[in-house]
Amino acid sequence: MIDIENLRLSIEGKEILKSIDLHLRPGDTYGLLGPNGAGKSTTIFALLGLRAYESGSIRVLGGNPMEEAVAIRRSVGVMPEKAGFYDWMTALDYLKWYARLYGSEPVNRDLDMMLEKVGLGTEARRPIGAYSRGMKQRLAVARALITHPKLLILDEPTNGLDPKGRREIHNLLVEFAAEGKAGVLLCTHLLDDVDRLCNRIGIIDNGRTRLEGSLGDLLAEQGGGQRYRLRLETDPDTTNLPAGVAIAGHEGGWWRVQAQVKPSEGPPALWGELWRRGWKIMEIRSEASSLEELYMSHTGQDKHYTQEAA
Amino acid sequence: MNTTWTIARKESAQMLRSQRGLLWLLTFSGLLSAFSLLLVSNTELSLLDNAQVVYMMAGTVLAAGALLVAILGSDAYAGEKERGTLVPLLCAPIAANALLAGKAVGLLAAWGVMFAVATPYLWAVGASGQNLGAALFYLALFGTPVVLGFGYLAMALSARTGSVMTSLLSTVTLLMLAASPLVIGPGLRGTAVGRILDVINPFAGALNTFDSVIIDSDPFSAQTGRLVLVGVWLVLCLFAARRSASRPDF
Repeated sequence: MIDIENLRLSIEGKEILKSIDLHLRPGDTYGLLGPNGAGKSTTIFALLGLRAYESGSIRVLGGNPMEEAVAIRRSVGVMPEKAGFYDWMTALDYLKWYARLYGSEPVNRDLDMMLEKVGLGTEARRPIGAYSRGMKQRLAVARALITHPKLLILDEPTNGLDPKGRREIHNLLVEFAAEGKAGVLLCTHLLDDVDRLCNRIGIIDNGRTRLEGSLGDLLAEQGGGQRYRLRLETDPDTTNLPAGVAIAGHEGGWWRVQAQVKPSEGPPALWGELWRRGWKIMEIRSEASSLEELYMSHTGQDKHYTQEAA
Repeated sequence: MNTTWTIARKESAQMLRSQRGLLWLLTFSGLLSAFSLLLVSNTELSLLDNAQVVYMMAGTVLAAGALLVAILGSDAYAGEKERGTLVPLLCAPIAANALLAGKAVGLLAAWGVMFAVATPYLWAVGASGQNLGAALFYLALFGTPVVLGFGYLAMALSARTGSVMTSLLSTVTLLMLAASPLVIGPGLRGTAVGRILDVINPFAGALNTFDSVIIDSDPFSAQTGRLVLVGVWLVLCLFAARRSASRPDF
């Protein structure tokens, strides 16, 4: 659905993208990660034909966005980072108007259903100007989904949402991705979003793709597992550890362990196993996820992270 | 439904339903009321003849129309950018020219509303004379390309700079320069600079046409040179707007 190879792009003489590679296949939910200013949004604009690039190649849904931008955009639902709306319109009127730009004429029932899905069912006929930031985020998701796109591009979709709102948006995206062979490109700095939703990731930093691949494979290659800090009643027997558990350190009464947790069992099974082996656990704290470590180690921020963790 | 029309409907509704648009119309109506009263008083006192009054009224409507579209045009891209609504528009399947055309139709609608509001005032000050029909006809024929040209110019600057303030200041400064014949009077217009300005200035071209047909009752054939001037102005501004709108600052 998206094939970007060695993309270079400058804006006003400044090289923003130096070497971007991105490959999204049908059915993928792809997490594009990177620090602020890494070039995530610019990459999105390039693949929508809104930014001209200097070299490399981009194919989106089989077409070149520099030549077939309008045709490509017809099949792409986009949620930009800044969710701007016309405050004087109601959500219902706005979605109807926006869908017309895609050549579709949705009926009120479909629009109401979509607004219901994003949790704005009772607010559908209120002017958008009266909406909170979180409500506008939800409406932006509805705007991206209303035209039933083949490819969904979301730039920081859960920014400004409370945990319940985030969960609802997650569920919507899972539902969308499960519907068929559509693809989702999710740009975010929230690793939790990626952890929950994505099967593939790409990490970009300073205009370059640092890492790309299947999330499961990358985490397995890294071999890190999950890190925890455990406070114990007594010193444990460190010679008798369950498989997949390693001691990462011991300081100030806390034991740092690195554990490969089986998804089918989850951490509680591990705690039970440790308890049986004499680990009298009084308190458990989760540390950075493996994804976070992966991210930090590929964005030049690992040093800063280590200092922070210390 | 055609995307240009979809954009145009939104642009028109935004002007008519927003407080800013209604405020503008009220202000314009108030201005025309005061100006009409002044001109009718002058006519009653025989200080101005009917043709001069109609000419001045037509010039005022033209200037106000150009100012209105300069404001709306400056807001067209940069205002949307500042409010965060431009990117969703650009991400939609709309060709750059279709978006520009939709916004231009919105400006035309604003000018149309202003023309409609001005018509009763023109009638009020010019109904007793013989030139009201000519005034309305030439105001539409010459005023529309001049006003739309300023709209395109404002949109070009708005798309290029991404700043409402920069675009508005630049366009209004140019508009004030172009409208100076209305202010500086016939004496200065007779000088070499005034004559050059008259030849190249589309606003002056429209005013001179009003002068020619309303006061001197010249035929249409005498206006073709000025019609070409305002036509060229419109084409140049359209070209600039298309260039800027193809790669707007967002």
